[in-house]
Amino acid sequence: MFVSHLDVSSRCPLLSFVDIKWKLGVAMSSDTCRSLKYPYVTVTLKVADPSGQITDKSFEMTIPQFKNFFRQFKEMAAVLETV
Amino acid sequence: MLLVLSEAQKADLGGLLLLGTAGLTASASRGRWGPPGGSAVVGGPGRAGPGPAAGPVAGSPSLVSAVGELGRLAVELLRRGAAPRACEAAARKLNIGAEAVQHGVEGLTYLLTESSKLMISEIDFQDSIHVLGFSDELNKLLFQLYLDNRKEIRRILSELAPKLPSYHSLEWRLDVQLASRSLRQQIEPTVTIKLHLNQNEDQSARVLQTDPSTLLHLIRQLEQALGEMKTNHCRRIVRNMK
Repeated sequence: MFVSHLDVSSRCPLLSFVDIKWKLGVAMSSDTCRSLKYPYVTVTLKVADPSGQITDKSFEMTIPQFKNFFRQFKEMAAVLETV
Repeated sequence: MLLVLSEAQKADLGGLLLLGTAGLTASASRGRWGPPGGSAVVGGPGRAGPGPAAGPVAGSPSLVSAVGELGRLAVELLRRGAAPRACEAAARKLNIGAEAVQHGVEGLTYLLTESSKLMISEIDFQDSIHVLGFSDELNKLLFQLYLDNRKEIRRILSELAPKLPSYHSLEWRLDVQLASRSLRQQIEPTVTIKLHLNQNEDQSARVLQTDPSTLLHLIRQLEQALGEMKTNHCRRIVRNMK
């Protein structure tokens, strides 16, 4: 799900986190399904590549996916407390 | 507008002279064209020359089928690329050297593609191949071959033009934005679009988002673009081009 992998190979340059934005929406209708009520979260990560060039990477998550996403950060925070 | 044939192309097509002559000896292994040109005898309609006859006789129905056969090979070369086995089979059937057939077919492909590309007229076509010194019958057959295959060759050539990414399909979704990091308690309708594009067999997709009024504006702009086809200005130009 993350756009930068924690692998230091030269083929995949490590992008650094600049900022995060999110929004919550409900999908109402689409070309394949005319009647929806589907909540989702859109996250936009602002990242910088090693040269300093900034780009936006956006992705969407369903509510269950977002809950899992959130849990990862809670775990990271918990581990950092113990360090 | 005349076709310009290079020396190599003239030599390739010169091999087709073998189709218009009679009385050649059947030695296909000597040199590029088989027997040296000196021993070729141009026969009259239906008359076999001295020595064992080989190759189709001028004026006979087999000249028609020989030209047709090589023409088929030439168009296949354009459609699918080289087919050495087909050339060898044709060489056996027509009693000419395999290399002669191959070079002849390559020359013929060039002749047909350049003629089709330029939409060359009958007069210009005949003037262009006059330098090859073929018989009238062979000239007529070649022109007919060009006319018969022109449409398909032009269709193939049209695919070689540079292409921008083209529309493949579109997915859309109507959403309502309820909250963001910076603003809560919203009801903002948005339209999310996934545009699928094709370029030379590569597929790509772009995701865009907009609000309904911008989408309406976009639709109006596209309708206006289509509507331009119906204006007098465009109608006049299209009419003059047809």
